[in-house]
Amino acid sequence: MYLVTFQFAFTSFFQQRGGGDALSPDQNKPHLRWCSSEFHKLLKKIQGIPPLADYLQLELTVVYNVCLCSTAQSQFSEAELLLTQATERVLQMTGDAPVASDPPVFWRTVINSVGDTALNPCVLYLLCLQWAIWLSTCQLKIIQECQLFSVFETLSTGVWDEGRSELREKSSDIPLLVMDPRRLIELLQICTIIAQGAESLSEGRSSEALSGLQTASSLPAPRTLIAYTHLLSGSCLAHMSCPQMALQCYRKALETDSRCVCALYQSMLIYRQLGNTQAEIQGLRLLHSTLMLPFATEPALADTRLLSPSLLLRSQSLSSLLSVPSALSVLHNLALKCVHHGRVSDGVEYYLDLLAVLHSEDQHGVHAEGPPLPSLPELYLQAGAALLMARRPADCMALCDEVITTTLELLPEKVVLAEPEEKCEAETRALCAEGDDRVAMLLWAGAAYLLQGHCHTQLKDWKQAVTHYTRCFNLLVKARFKKGSNADMVGKQGTDLCILQKLKGLSLAGRGISFTQTDQLREALRDLQLSMQAFPECVSAGLWCGEVLWRLGRRWEAAACWEKTWSFTPQFSVESLSVYLQEPQSGPLLDSSELRRRIQELGPPLSA
Amino acid sequence: KASDWRFIRLSLCGKVIIFNCKRASATSDCERTELIFSSLAFQREDNTFLKAADGAAIISRKRSAHVDIVKCKCAINVQKRVTTACILVTKKSEKGESFQYSLLTLSSSNHLEPCIEFKLPYQMRETVHILHGPTVLWSHTGNVFYASLQAGEVRQMPIQVSHSVIGELPLHKEHLFVLGLHNLSDQCSNTPSTSQILGYFVESGQVFDGTVILPHPYICITRCILVLSAEKVDDVLKSAVIAATSNQQLVYFENGIVKDVCQLPFEQPENIQVVNTGRNGCLFVISFHQGHVCAMWKETFQIASHWSSVSSVHVDDFLGCGTDQMLLFFKDQGITGQPLDTFLLTDLCGISYSVRHTFYFDSGAPKTPPPSPESDLTLRALESRLQSGLTVLQELQREVRVKDRVLQQSVRALTDVVSEIFALPVQEGLIALWDCDDESKDEALDDKTQDMPAVSSKPQVDKLWHRITEERMVVGVILTTDIIQTQSQVFWLPAPCSSSSSSSSSSAYMFSEPAAKRSKQHYAGTPNDLNTCRVAVTAVTRLTPLLNSGCVKCRVMLHYMTVHYCLFLFFCTDEVKEDLLSLMAVLDRWVFHIDSPEHSLGNIDSWIQKRVGCKRVEVSPQYLLLNSSGPSALMLLHWHQITPFQGELSLQTLQFLDSLLAYLPVSCSIQPVKGTKGQGATQIFSLALEKEMVSLIECVSSLLCEEEEEERKSLGHEETPEPGSVKGLQRCREVFQRDVERSRMRLSPLVGVGRYRRLTQSIYSLKEHFLDGSDFLTKYRKLWQAILVL
Repeated sequence: MYLVTFQFAFTSFFQQRGGGDALSPDQNKPHLRWCSSEFHKLLKKIQGIPPLADYLQLELTVVYNVCLCSTAQSQFSEAELLLTQATERVLQMTGDAPVASDPPVFWRTVINSVGDTALNPCVLYLLCLQWAIWLSTCQLKIIQECQLFSVFETLSTGVWDEGRSELREKSSDIPLLVMDPRRLIELLQICTIIAQGAESLSEGRSSEALSGLQTASSLPAPRTLIAYTHLLSGSCLAHMSCPQMALQCYRKALETDSRCVCALYQSMLIYRQLGNTQAEIQGLRLLHSTLMLPFATEPALADTRLLSPSLLLRSQSLSSLLSVPSALSVLHNLALKCVHHGRVSDGVEYYLDLLAVLHSEDQHGVHAEGPPLPSLPELYLQAGAALLMARRPADCMALCDEVITTTLELLPEKVVLAEPEEKCEAETRALCAEGDDRVAMLLWAGAAYLLQGHCHTQLKDWKQAVTHYTRCFNLLVKARFKKGSNADMVGKQGTDLCILQKLKGLSLAGRGISFTQTDQLREALRDLQLSMQAFPECVSAGLWCGEVLWRLGRRWEAAACWEKTWSFTPQFSVESLSVYLQEPQSGPLLDSSELRRRIQELGPPLSA
Repeated sequence: KASDWRFIRLSLCGKVIIFNCKRASATSDCERTELIFSSLAFQREDNTFLKAADGAAIISRKRSAHVDIVKCKCAINVQKRVTTACILVTKKSEKGESFQYSLLTLSSSNHLEPCIEFKLPYQMRETVHILHGPTVLWSHTGNVFYASLQAGEVRQMPIQVSHSVIGELPLHKEHLFVLGLHNLSDQCSNTPSTSQILGYFVESGQVFDGTVILPHPYICITRCILVLSAEKVDDVLKSAVIAATSNQQLVYFENGIVKDVCQLPFEQPENIQVVNTGRNGCLFVISFHQGHVCAMWKETFQIASHWSSVSSVHVDDFLGCGTDQMLLFFKDQGITGQPLDTFLLTDLCGISYSVRHTFYFDSGAPKTPPPSPESDLTLRALESRLQSGLTVLQELQREVRVKDRVLQQSVRALTDVVSEIFALPVQEGLIALWDCDDESKDEALDDKTQDMPAVSSKPQVDKLWHRITEERMVVGVILTTDIIQTQSQVFWLPAPCSSSSSSSSSSAYMFSEPAAKRSKQHYAGTPNDLNTCRVAVTAVTRLTPLLNSGCVKCRVMLHYMTVHYCLFLFFCTDEVKEDLLSLMAVLDRWVFHIDSPEHSLGNIDSWIQKRVGCKRVEVSPQYLLLNSSGPSALMLLHWHQITPFQGELSLQTLQFLDSLLAYLPVSCSIQPVKGTKGQGATQIFSLALEKEMVSLIECVSSLLCEEEEEERKSLGHEETPEPGSVKGLQRCREVFQRDVERSRMRLSPLVGVGRYRRLTQSIYSLKEHFLDGSDFLTKYRKLWQAILVL
């Protein structure tokens, strides 16, 4: 009769669950909260009496249910407190003295104290929950110390299950558990292996992690987790420099769970590492289209079950392994890759898609982690450069206009470029940031004018080209260096200074070339020489400078100039520079073989 | 404990009575010991208690006598049928070997009269109860004693109990009861198996089952008890009880079943009282050791307020307004002159009077002067408005919740639909990525395999054998051949070492993987490349016709297919092996396809092996022999895992499936494999029966549902008639008659002939294609036709 009252919460729980399985996790939450509070009430009732052997089994079952609900609501400390109370009551019942707080010793004592009685499984179920709490709070060391895997070896095989079901047939008094312990153990086992694998991997012990993950892949587990084991195996292999085997693993992960976007991303990274650009681009394209699917935004592990794997896998190292950049970032990467590797028309399309998405209100997946997108003007300029390459100068000009109109009002009269070493000292950080912004504005506007100049060059409108190159140059001279420019600084990549010099060189070169087309050779020579000063590696400036010299009759000088230009080895790789800072391939060109023929006709230089 | 206090207070009929035991001191002239009392009434205007009456009684005239007040309490005097104040005093004899107890009652004329007197050779140590009667009840050395006006002497309860709980029932005849644990055996454990709870009515001496009041585990931990209601229905006691336990809980029991539990803020509860605040419900006031008090609402069973440093709590209608209030006197710090210096009179719902020098307040009533009646009324009006507002709010919230749920479900359904649309292209895309590198290579390979003609167009018979089991004969051939399609059973003879290659005994079409991929796998797996494979084909026939005819000719019909499969087999010409194959041919087998899309299956094979009585068949290790203790003695099992999420199981009895189901993930689906050759008649029959059953259930339930639907439609417009007039009464009767008729109809519904015929027709048509071509069931079909004609 006493037991009857306890049935209420169970039955209502299971009734609700029976209908609630189809509910979304969000909807399950209030229900879970309600169940949790009902279970708490029940526990309060049952713990209101002294621990008696007859009721303790029931009590521990209730504790299991309460703790599971609490754990499912991420109330770990509360659940742990309940576990401690329950085990203390067990010890009180068996008459053993309370023991040390060292978890492995403590639990061993508790298990030993109940011996082989009916309480033994109940205590082990509680240990399962303790395991879940340790796992959720990333205390992997304790899990290892307790040797939980060996403790639960018998449990997971389901030998107990049979005993339980037989018991249930005999009497209806066996209280129900909200989650089958065997399922819980299965889940805990694979989650622990995954978490430990991620930990070992981040600590550089790849081979150790690999063996564990390989065995885990054959364990009974949700599809997502199986995919994770393959994914992490792949990461281990990638660390052990076996890229092909890693690719196999990533493939398996994807075959197991098509929602494992991370595997796609990782394999793309491998292709990048291997230098297989075609595969990389294809990978990026797939990754992007996958990320645009509706399910990609919702967490992969959310499900309707009580204890979701995502709750158990909260380690930092794992989430960093599983992180995938946002769809937009992938799209940008894709566009850039295409432009760099000769798929200009594809690249242009991707850039336009990207800008369209950024303009529409629907910022799908913007909040995902990963590297942030470049700023909007930067993207405009990159897109403009791509359009220019695709011989769509009108579109390019429109984009540049956009950049110029937005930045024009914000342009500073003068700006001082500081050296990076002293750039961001603590006291001037705020000032610096502001200064950075202004420098960036200046550079963007300059680049926009430069691109427009290129456009006009492409259209053979030399006058307009000269105007825009001049505007670019005029803007750039507003920037001054704080301490005289030294060559070291210019050489450093990516710095504002380097970009500035490059812009100057390119704009002067462009103007010089334009002047050559209108036969203003003197102006052309001046500009081209200045360009080579500002940016010595500029090939077109060097070649055209020689051409102008040749036309002016200074043939030996011309020859020397050409020779010097050809001797340049490109200092920067193609991809390290912004697309819009590359020398245009669309302007008037000089044929190198023709130039060499000319030099040969000229004979050996005088000095030789 | 009571004697520690200088003043002992009591409330009676809205007045506070203070008892004080004045002892003769050595220096005083007065040599006697007096019990002084004064009765005080609360004056609302002055916010004080004023003396209404007082008096004194001499208890002892001896100088050396040591007099103590043990306890005072109000109890019903049965003889006078009034509630009187009772006070129990004790006098220690000079030598200290005996104790004189006397219970005094305060009469209506404000006189203290001795009521019961008795002598004890010991001092009462444990809690003493003054209850209905008046009766004095106490326990000493595990025995319960009582002294009452009726008994006139000290009596002992006849049953030996440990852990007694004493209480009062609001019943007609029996009021006082004692609950206790009665040990059945000599062991000292307190489990329900070794001890039982006995109840004992003091007045009648009747013994009853104590579990109707308190459940077993609570007996030992109950500190005080209050019976809220009790009645005897057919000699069964129905009760509602609250008890405060030593585990800091207040527990509410109904008929001995725990209904509600509340955690108490203090330890060591001593007394529970009920405050009826009228419209606002009831409060329980629990007083604790060391002057803690807490009040709790009966309805919500939650703590309303609590106080500390309280010297005594009284419940009565001190204001004379018709409802109870509680009166708390606080322990004075320093000021000892006036006993009623600091008090709080409140019902926690609007009434609050207090005089406080120092604030011991923890929470609860306001510290402002008493509110005026107008503000009280306003407060009540506001309160009721708040309440109605709250209910409206709750209803709204409920509606919102329902709406949310509907919305979320529809959104979910929508996303499901959308994701289904999108899922396909992605999958295709993925394959494109992976195979892009060697696609051309694969295609070339594909072409080659397709162009290649079958290596051997004629199967090579390696071995022919036959076995006889029971009434049947099994003929088997081992062939070296390409893939075959046959009406007989085919067993793939597996390779000895490679566990990855298939070894299923089901139909030949079992791989859906593209050939090119698999061929790659096998290159890696085994060195030698064989195009052909060995299979065992078996056929079963009944023995009797064979025995009757003279010449025996057995034909195995084979149909070839030119599909290229790579499987590696090993040669086994063992007789044992032949035995096994014959057995497999004869045995009825179930083949189930187990598919668990969301959860991988894990290592089913090892799970099966770990079962009791399971061992591998030596000659053919992919088969497991299960020797369970159940009704089906021996069983051959075979598990074939296709992917981590899919597998095939063949077995003979379904009982095993039951325990396997418990092991498998909940989400997995189990389907009997269609087209398995060698399905026994029983299997066909049972499958047909199952289908038939399901469709029958569907048809019938839809039939009944339609009925009900129609009924509901017709019912919808009816209005309930007014029962006032004669006509209305008539209509009421009609409606009732119709209701009766309808419920009778529902129990044995009438179905139109046409509809019934349609039902049977539909079932028949369902059955038609099961039974087609099966001679076995023609009789059955005839039966059904007969039913249809009917």
